[in-house]
Amino acid sequence: MSDVAMNDLSETPVRTRATDAKTVLAVEDLCTDFRTKAGSVRAVDGVSFELKAGEILAIVGESGSGKSVTSLSIMGLIPEPPGRIAGGRVFFDGQDLTKLTDRQLQKLRGSSLSMIFQEPMTSLNPVLSIGRQMTEGIRQHLGMSADQARRHAVEMMRRVSIPAPEHRLKEYPHQFSGGMLQRIMIAIAMSCNPKVLIADEPTTALDVTIQAQILELMQELRDMTGAAIMLITHDMGVVAETADRVIVMYAGQKIEEGSVEEVFRAPRHPYTLGLLGALPRLGQAGAVGDTELNEIPGVVPPLTDLPPGCRFSDRCSYATDKCRAETPPLETKRPGHIAACWHSDELESPT
Amino acid sequence: MDRYLLQRSLAALLTIWITTIAVSMLIHLVPGDPVQIMYAQSQGTTPEELEEVRQRLGLNEPLVVQYVQYMGRVLQGNLGTTIRGEQPVLELLLERLPNTLALAGAALLIACVIGLVSGFIAAYKRGSWLDTSLMTTAILGVSMPHFWLGLILLFFFAVRLQWFPVAGNGIENLVLPAVTLGVTNAAIIARLTRSSMIDVFDQDFIRTARAKGLPKAMVLYGHALRAGLVPIVTMIGLQFTYMMGGAIVVENVFGWNGVGRMAIQAIFQRDYPLIQGFILMFACIVVTVSLLMDVIYAWLDPRIRY
Amino acid sequence: MQQRVRNAMAIASAAGSHVDPVPDTQGRWYVFARNLHTVFSAATANRGAKLGFFLVLALIVVAIFAPLIAPYPADQMGAGMSLLPPNGDYWFGTDEFGRDIFSRVIYGARLTIQVGLIAVGISLTIGTITGLVAGYAGGWTERVLMRLVDVVFSFTETLIALAAVAVLGPSLTNAMIAVGVAAIPFYARVAYSVTLVERNRAYFDAAYVAGAGHLRLIFVHLLPNIVPPLIVVATLGVSSAVLAAAGLSFLGLGAQPPSPEWGAMLSAGRDYFTLAPWIMIYPGVAIMIVVLAFNLLGDGIREALDPRQKS
Repeated sequence: MSDVAMNDLSETPVRTRATDAKTVLAVEDLCTDFRTKAGSVRAVDGVSFELKAGEILAIVGESGSGKSVTSLSIMGLIPEPPGRIAGGRVFFDGQDLTKLTDRQLQKLRGSSLSMIFQEPMTSLNPVLSIGRQMTEGIRQHLGMSADQARRHAVEMMRRVSIPAPEHRLKEYPHQFSGGMLQRIMIAIAMSCNPKVLIADEPTTALDVTIQAQILELMQELRDMTGAAIMLITHDMGVVAETADRVIVMYAGQKIEEGSVEEVFRAPRHPYTLGLLGALPRLGQAGAVGDTELNEIPGVVPPLTDLPPGCRFSDRCSYATDKCRAETPPLETKRPGHIAACWHSDELESPT
Repeated sequence: MDRYLLQRSLAALLTIWITTIAVSMLIHLVPGDPVQIMYAQSQGTTPEELEEVRQRLGLNEPLVVQYVQYMGRVLQGNLGTTIRGEQPVLELLLERLPNTLALAGAALLIACVIGLVSGFIAAYKRGSWLDTSLMTTAILGVSMPHFWLGLILLFFFAVRLQWFPVAGNGIENLVLPAVTLGVTNAAIIARLTRSSMIDVFDQDFIRTARAKGLPKAMVLYGHALRAGLVPIVTMIGLQFTYMMGGAIVVENVFGWNGVGRMAIQAIFQRDYPLIQGFILMFACIVVTVSLLMDVIYAWLDPRIRY
Repeated sequence: MQQRVRNAMAIASAAGSHVDPVPDTQGRWYVFARNLHTVFSAATANRGAKLGFFLVLALIVVAIFAPLIAPYPADQMGAGMSLLPPNGDYWFGTDEFGRDIFSRVIYGARLTIQVGLIAVGISLTIGTITGLVAGYAGGWTERVLMRLVDVVFSFTETLIALAAVAVLGPSLTNAMIAVGVAAIPFYARVAYSVTLVERNRAYFDAAYVAGAGHLRLIFVHLLPNIVPPLIVVATLGVSSAVLAAAGLSFLGLGAQPPSPEWGAMLSAGRDYFTLAPWIMIYPGVAIMIVVLAFNLLGDGIREALDPRQKS
């Protein structure tokens, strides 16, 4: 049953480094609502995509685009209330995660499906030792004894290049730097051999040089374990450096998807073009940086007050009356490259 | 951590030192002649006798000399003698102190159990009818004068129902005052526990703990409660000092034979040596308790420990 | 007595409850008025606060029109037979001297307002100046002042109030002073912590560079901007002051008979309350309602001003 559903989804074969790899995660028409004072808003609106073993899929967008909510929805970590998964399916390991009980999800979270977050400094409990925080998940999921779990944790810390791991296990989060803490977070996330790692802006809070190291580490671990990585970011530089495939989100919707090379070479949505315009120059060492997405005029409209038609129309220099009246559908613009724009053909490629 | 504790200890000593200065000078702040006021109630004291008392208390010396003399006596454990009955102040205080400590301790226990549990539940069920009703009860509790609550409990449980004796100093007499003092303070603890736990529940590390797939109980108790404990312990230390303050009032409602009741009598009788002794002792207790809390705090919070 | 913890919370949220400073070009009264407006609109934003506001208003009305509302003068003995239970003529019953308890409770509202105003006035004035000066001056002034505040802070208000009454002697005025003095450290701490935040804002630097003098910097530039958190503390402070003063009167250290002060009424009625429980019920309920009103109002304002607590 789930296989059928996944096959339905693979409408567009996409070239990745693991071309024929198995699909490990398939998101189908996911909708997540939040109750606010102004009424219910749809933070994620009908998003579908799939993730193949060993690939790094980047999800890009400004804040408010729904990329983080998408990842939290997959993990079943949406705070409820005010949040609620209003529709869609998330297939993982042959089951629909949205149908699982919290207890069933618990078994998957942190073991075959794990996640790291934006702020390593606040993502670890300040009053518990690193050792305790590393081993509790291992013991929970792998059923190891305290001693085995400790040795496994040391091994994981070595793998993320933390010096003197036996010693550092006894220390507390405030004794680590941000970069080291993000390494710890990655070690925790990878310690139970996940099939999918969701990384929500893992480098945003870190210094530029540390950012590059962390991204490199994630790539290494991907190569070593074959885990798929879903990388949430607002930074096109990070996408270019790290990802195989990219999904661009805007105001809760997916608006473009394709291989990184394809999308960067010839974006098919003006928003993506705008994001790329914010980059200094592609392919250079400095591309992984703290580039701001400041070249697109205006901000993402509030979800309570979306324009009719294309949601990007009020910020788009290509917008016509049609854009303001009719929502463009997601269409295959080139093989493996889809976008939702009425004016895809008019876009010029970035230099 | 050593530096932190050293700092706290020095601050504690400083507090006590300033208290001794204030206490020794207290008598000079009294408008009019303190000795005359002290003896106003006993008839037939001659001016010569008053002068002798003045000499004995050293009130004719320069202030600095008075302070040095006072400190000299205090350091030897001599807090002077009471005006009425000429009994040693320290002995009197130490005789009654266990009663007050028992009352404050029992009240603290009640306050913590009720306050922590209901505050935690309210935070966890934030926004539910349970939260609303617990917090409504709590704000009523915070607004309740404890001497009045004491009178009402006394009326219902001692006078009407006769479950407890009206007065006396047995363990059965401890129940009502301890409940009186405990319940009003439980309301404060509940409110603070709730807000502190809500802060913790919103923290990133709780999300991390959930993302690790830990069972709910482990997230709640292993992570949230453990982190929330740090501010809560500080607050409980503060609560104990209130309990001591509240005990003064509650002892008077129930006729519980503690230092507070004695202090009020001393104020009525203008028995300044006893009042001075009481304040000094109270300060020492408060300072000791908060120092103890600092130690526990340091032990709970690794950011201070290392 | 319970003020300290609540105030600690107020201190904690003081930085959060800050209202954006306006450029000084619009004048200090504008800043002040705008801050007051913020506070009042905050106070009506919340259901509990609305109830509190209404109760406080009712208290003021009752106090002003006490002679019109009360059927008897407060200390008219033999207004009825003694120890009458509540009935149509004596709504709250009569006390041991045959005084009408309802009338006494109504007149007591006047004393309660006095207590609130005077005690909070003392602690607010001295505390604010202490905190402002310490926060503004820095250096040794700051260290000595705040160290002293910490020392006083580490005692309970009850003890400080007792010591003050022990020195001054029992009377309602002395109790008000004692309660006011005892609460100074809280106000000082709040004023201090907000001043530290304000001192680092651009408008302060601008005024400093423009050559404003010390007094002008403190009172014209800093003071209007630290008003909102102080209003929270002062509102909650009224309830603590009323509670503490009633406690002192109950112990016999505050208002003396035949004053219709509520704590003193409870104290005087103690000998009769097994016979006539109404003697102790109504004054106690009155204290509780007033304390509750200011607690609700203060909590409401704080919550509305503190962006973190909006949920």
